[in-house]
Amino acid sequence: MSDFNPKIVAFVCNWCTYAGADLTGTSRMKYSPQVSIIRFPCTGRIDFMLLLKAFASGADGIIVSGCHPNDCHYSSGNFHARRRWIVFRSLLDFLGIDVRRVRFSWVSAAEGAKWAQLVNETAEQIRLLGPFKRYHQLRGLGVE
Amino acid sequence: MEDLRNKARELLAAKAVQVVVGYGRGTGASRRAVFIQSAAEAGELLFDNACRQNLAVYLMKPEVRKLGKMALVAIPATLRTILQLASENQIQDLELLALVPDASGAVTQLATFAAIEAHVVLQDNDLSAAEKGELQKYEIMGMEQRRQFWEEHFSRCLKCYACRAACPLCYCSRCTVECNQPQWIPVPAHDLGNLEWNIMRAMHLAGRCINCGDCSRACPVGIPLHLLNQKLISEVYTHFNSRSGMAAKADHAMSTFKPNDAEDFIR
Amino acid sequence: MARIGVFVCHCGENISATVDVKKVAEAASRIPGVAHSVEYKYMCSDPGQQMIRNAIREKNLTGVVVAACSPRMHEPTFRRACAEAGLNPFLCEMANIREHCSWVHEKSEATTHKAFDIVRTLVAKVKRNKALLPIKVPVTKTALVLGGGIAGIQASLDIANSGHKVILVEKEPSIGGHMSQLSETFPTLDCSQCILTPRMVEVAQHPNITLHSYSELESMDGFIGNFKVRIRKKARSLDEKLCTGCGLCVQKCPSKKISSEFDAGLGLRPAIYVPFPQAVPNKPVIDREHCTYYRTGKCRLCEKICPTQAIRFDQEDEIIEADIGAVVVATGFDIKHGDFFPEYGYGKYKDVIDGLQFERLASASGPTLGEIRRPSDGQVPQTVVFVACAGSRDPAKGIEYCSKICCMYTAKHAMLYKHKVHHGKPFVFYMDIRAGGKMYEEFVRRAMEEDGVQYIRSRVSRIYERGGKLVVKGADTLLGSRPLEIEADLVVLATAGVAQAGAEQLAQRLHVSFDAHKFYAEAHPKLRPVETNTAGIFLAGACQAPKDIPESVAQASGAAAKVAILFSQSELVREPLIAVVDRQAPPLYSSCVGCFLCQPSCPYQAIEKEEIRDRDGQLIKTIAKVNPGLCQGCGTCVALCRTKSIDIQGFSHEQVYAEVLALLNRGEDNV
Repeated sequence: MSDFNPKIVAFVCNWCTYAGADLTGTSRMKYSPQVSIIRFPCTGRIDFMLLLKAFASGADGIIVSGCHPNDCHYSSGNFHARRRWIVFRSLLDFLGIDVRRVRFSWVSAAEGAKWAQLVNETAEQIRLLGPFKRYHQLRGLGVE
Repeated sequence: MEDLRNKARELLAAKAVQVVVGYGRGTGASRRAVFIQSAAEAGELLFDNACRQNLAVYLMKPEVRKLGKMALVAIPATLRTILQLASENQIQDLELLALVPDASGAVTQLATFAAIEAHVVLQDNDLSAAEKGELQKYEIMGMEQRRQFWEEHFSRCLKCYACRAACPLCYCSRCTVECNQPQWIPVPAHDLGNLEWNIMRAMHLAGRCINCGDCSRACPVGIPLHLLNQKLISEVYTHFNSRSGMAAKADHAMSTFKPNDAEDFIR
Repeated sequence: MARIGVFVCHCGENISATVDVKKVAEAASRIPGVAHSVEYKYMCSDPGQQMIRNAIREKNLTGVVVAACSPRMHEPTFRRACAEAGLNPFLCEMANIREHCSWVHEKSEATTHKAFDIVRTLVAKVKRNKALLPIKVPVTKTALVLGGGIAGIQASLDIANSGHKVILVEKEPSIGGHMSQLSETFPTLDCSQCILTPRMVEVAQHPNITLHSYSELESMDGFIGNFKVRIRKKARSLDEKLCTGCGLCVQKCPSKKISSEFDAGLGLRPAIYVPFPQAVPNKPVIDREHCTYYRTGKCRLCEKICPTQAIRFDQEDEIIEADIGAVVVATGFDIKHGDFFPEYGYGKYKDVIDGLQFERLASASGPTLGEIRRPSDGQVPQTVVFVACAGSRDPAKGIEYCSKICCMYTAKHAMLYKHKVHHGKPFVFYMDIRAGGKMYEEFVRRAMEEDGVQYIRSRVSRIYERGGKLVVKGADTLLGSRPLEIEADLVVLATAGVAQAGAEQLAQRLHVSFDAHKFYAEAHPKLRPVETNTAGIFLAGACQAPKDIPESVAQASGAAAKVAILFSQSELVREPLIAVVDRQAPPLYSSCVGCFLCQPSCPYQAIEKEEIRDRDGQLIKTIAKVNPGLCQGCGTCVALCRTKSIDIQGFSHEQVYAEVLALLNRGEDNV
């Protein structure tokens, strides 16, 4: 298991977390390379279906992150996102899907260190949980 | 029962409505929807405890809608559906009548959304004790057990979309499952597609489902779909203090927010 | 078939030190659809950009991915380069392999691999990018300024002097705002009205300014460049065209004992009144609540006496509609009144007054003609206590913020008192002195050193009456918190500056956001201090936060400059990264079912209803429509729409879906 390199997809908003991750870079803080970022204008744009697609395509873990409450570039996109995540996370849990594989966070453009920490913690968590075989195997018949 | 039939005769004879959608004799003890278009047919109408289908589903079917103004025999969930559809701009006030039979067989006629709202607040719109109990049974299960439970059920899903056809709130003219650019939900009825389909349906009904249970009753392979919807009804009520189908103009839980919506997992 | 060009940057060694850029470029060349893949030392340099331009022309590229730094850094640079070579700039994407990869990971195969993953993801995206054209919105070159205080006056004059029309709306009968109530202004002690009234007159006479006093904004629709407003002009009960402002009616009005708002309750006025002698416009208004005729049906003395027959008792409110291109909100502030300070006896003792009341006492045009006489008995107070931070910086009172102007005006009050009552003893109770500003610290020093104002660093615990004196209790924190008491004849509370009553309702009418204290929120606290989150609406003055006169004026000129920039072109050009609702051929017309659940989710009220009708005008269906002038492109509606009928340009369903699959090495973009 020790050579397991998890695949983690991060869905982040352009204005806070993407910029925060830029700051991690400009500050030369190091973090685990297993995480790659997909940029969205706002957390309000992040469709729960994309999270499902990421798992189905082989992601072992997911990070969803945007502006802190009251800091949204679009004033309320993150509040709408938060409601959806509350419901979506409950549903996943109810279906027996391990919600520890989806990490939700607020990371501002100033929190470069928090981004590095978030990535490292998530990577560690997913490493402990192991590959998300259960989900990946669901492809079953393999016809599409 | 006679009250209901007389009411239907009266409405049809006076041309107050063009069709009465009610319950009639089905196979064995079951009941099925009947579409009464003349006073002479009103004798087919029945009402008893076996009448469980949410007839509001026909409000959204073009072939029924084109028959003209409709009177709908309504159980509590039907009334909530009418209000929910109104709040989603799908039906207009005065476009339909609701006929609500009580235990004694007497019929109350509700002609406006305001009258339906006044009636609905008096109903018990919460999940029943039995429903809550059943939900809890799964909530306290271990995650792995829950996963197995649903995996077993979803493995039988045929992707026949009977749940969608039975659901009065699945009225979209192009369902996301029919989008192919991109193809959000895989077409074949394999485990992944089945899971994604059912997650998507539950999410799309979050804050909207009025708990009629017709999805589960329609499912030919017996998947307890109502559990998913009831789970989210309960979550939406607990977290956002919101209940669907209560008013013809309403703030929808999933398209509004409060700055202090509480959660404990975003860090 | 797509022909994508991939340009991998070394960024000197910033990228190439940890990422094997050659390998990335080579691997990228094998991605289906990639027609050209190279690496170069500095892509952003002139030769680097030239490489991109040449490749676009020579290889006929349909899309470009620059694998380099963050798009927040150089996206505009590379999009411009593409445009120069004739490629639509929105067909260029950046793969961030520096901030998100080379700088945060050690040199390793995994790092190179990740860099390639990022490139592959962006290639998958750019294949689905669409050429987009900037959105052009027409602009109505008329500004609406709400509030005729000094901020609104300054903004109106600046906009008008730049050659554009202004409609200035003031809710009171006269413009002038709080500044017209002030006696003298810190730190120069020049007379407030002397510097203000010429500006007021300029407003009244300016050919580009239409002034609606005694009016309020009723409603507003539309979006930047294209607002439609309705203004309620309240009935003055007289014909303004006939009225000459002779003032005879004001003199003869029999109900004269009405508390004057202008004198902050310390003076009296008649029922038909002009708030102050230099009012603009200088036309009276009948206070219907107190007028004998409106109360009893009898009197009409003013009507009889008016030489031009201008009185109109039956006048009704008038609604004025106007097309507006931009709005400056300058509705100002208020000070905390009432029973907010029971422990200070405010409202209970006549001689515990607030700062605005002291201004009126000190003003030559005030109820005492500028003599400092206390309200209870008209005596000249021998000892005056000034309490700074009365409510401000007090979380227990619910006002955590500093009201900013009180330190300065309290020093000014104490100084004015000393100038007028030479033997008088002024005391100032303060928490800290905040005198940041040109000549401000010097001013406070002068109060202490030249005018002998005694400053005591103490909060006031209680004020009560004892033997005709007001006892002010505190504890001098600079003398070991020794308790102390001062027997005063007059107490002046520098009460907190707060948002105007009705600020929230106005914000809702304007669709602008506000903070927890109902002060209007700027778009960015540092870099966009005069903009609101709603495009085309700007802020000036104390409606945003307590401010002094120079700051209000500066911000007003800033807001005016923003308006002038907007009005400098007849069309507004915007980035086209906005949401659009699906339209398709009949019989579906659109996959939108018109549930309008998206409508409340939009932070910008950009979602409208569109009716699709047949040739005979019969309604076929009602669907959502995104107003391109209002949409800011957050995509909140996009993720909400069940039928995926709304999509957002630049972050479309197809694009992000392909990104997810490509990142995880699935889908058609596999190598």
